[in-house]
Amino acid sequence: MSTADKQIPRPAELDLEFFQAATSTGELHVQKCADCSDHHHPPRLYCPRCFSDRYVFEKVSGRGTVYSYTVSHFTTEKAWKDEVPWATIVVQLDEGPRLVGTARGIDPGAIRIGLPVRVVTETVTDDFAYLWVEADAGAEPEKTGNERAEEAR
Amino acid sequence: MTASTSGHPLSGRAAIVGIGETGYVRGADETVLEMVLGASMAAIRDAGLTPADIDGILPPPGFVAWDEIAAHLGIPDVRYTSTPQMGGASPTAALTTAMMAIASGVAETILVPIGWNGYSALRPRPDAKPSKRRFSAAFFETVRNYYGPYGLRSAPWWYSLYLQRYVELYDVPPEAPGAVAVAARKHAQLRPNALMHGRAMTMDDYLASPYITEPLRKFDCCVETDCAAAVVVTSAERARDLPHRPVLLLGGAEGHANPAHELTNRADVLDLGLSRAAPRAFEMAGVTARDMDFLQIYDCFTHVVLLQLEALGLAERGGAPDLVKGGALELGGAYPLNTAGGMLSQGHCWGLNLVVEAARQLRHDAGDAQVHGAELGLVTGYGDLGDGSIVILGRG
Repeated sequence: MSTADKQIPRPAELDLEFFQAATSTGELHVQKCADCSDHHHPPRLYCPRCFSDRYVFEKVSGRGTVYSYTVSHFTTEKAWKDEVPWATIVVQLDEGPRLVGTARGIDPGAIRIGLPVRVVTETVTDDFAYLWVEADAGAEPEKTGNERAEEAR
Repeated sequence: MTASTSGHPLSGRAAIVGIGETGYVRGADETVLEMVLGASMAAIRDAGLTPADIDGILPPPGFVAWDEIAAHLGIPDVRYTSTPQMGGASPTAALTTAMMAIASGVAETILVPIGWNGYSALRPRPDAKPSKRRFSAAFFETVRNYYGPYGLRSAPWWYSLYLQRYVELYDVPPEAPGAVAVAARKHAQLRPNALMHGRAMTMDDYLASPYITEPLRKFDCCVETDCAAAVVVTSAERARDLPHRPVLLLGGAEGHANPAHELTNRADVLDLGLSRAAPRAFEMAGVTARDMDFLQIYDCFTHVVLLQLEALGLAERGGAPDLVKGGALELGGAYPLNTAGGMLSQGHCWGLNLVVEAARQLRHDAGDAQVHGAELGLVTGYGDLGDGSIVILGRG
């Protein structure tokens, strides 16, 4: 799977800062409040926790777990017709925010809530980085996805 | 007659007095503007009024704006206009705005219209008149940057990002959303204007329908249609002099998940705008969900209906699948749902078709789909990335 022929956005304003933090370094960055250190995504001009307008984009590990996901079996988009079934994962980052990206190297049928994963960026243009979600081989498989889902109830 | 018992200053002060709708079709003969004007004139005439009586217009965002409607219908003196920015939740939210405008005296008789080319915008007939009618919203920027690049281009793909969590955490069996789809299809057989009239669907048909994007199957998704609908709202006093039994607006509210502009970063992604709106509306009306004789629930997708049943307080989180068992959502069941077929089987008219049907039920004019002795009902709206709206209606 690649990003070829896919819809590539041209982000603006604060969203552009999020993507440029990744494209300029090759590494995932997330907005962090410069006053209370809360992370958020998508980025916002005022911190929803302490209402500060001071922020930085901070490098994060990309590590987290599957929070939710969808396996798509149908598309109206030409660029995706050869990809079905593909999986999109909502990743709960260890730092707090959640990110959406395409599963890579994970069997769509094996995805469950709680599975350890890692978000990896791919620079597509100066202004946009694609987010891939891969299995996190380095994570401790201490709990199965179902066990974590049970806890979430 | 259902009088307001809550003592809330807005409750029972305004009433729906006119309803209008087009057919629900794929490939309409009319333009969107013509459909909107047709449904609006039908609603105004149904109320026994003329366009000169209308002094407020509350259209949803996009497609047709209030000034075009005023100009084409010859409405001479518009005193109030506003547009809720809530996608499909907008028409039902506009009814609460109408309650406020009428009770405060800002306007007296308000038109709430909607119309669109939900089918033909993307698939125009070869002989179709050119149209530029479309919808845009601020959250589209979220979609463009954070969902679209991953092949998630429209509502089923966006919403599946949280609906799959609901299904997995609460072991929602496919028969639960299936019960929503089957009830809607059954009710559509009683409405000749429904797109799916004459096309029966069983639970087996539902279970055999292919996945679009998990957990959504084809038959979990509403039907894209070209259509328009409109209602006229006026003061409860004036309503008494008009031809039809008034349908009183007893309660209304809107609510929004936090943040409203992005789906996946909410503390609880299953917390809909309706979770916040419903208690406010019930309090205003002085009733509970269990007092309702029927439910008209915004059924863009079946799983979203299940979550709304929970948001209304009819079931605990994860409890909707039990609630909908045994035909509970069908006419004759405990919670008759979307008695004209809803957006799943009548047509997607941004939920205003649900309002039109609720008014018919409370006039006792719903024909074979009539809920016997209906005195109270509700309509919900769900739009954009989970905005919620609700009105509680009573037979006047």
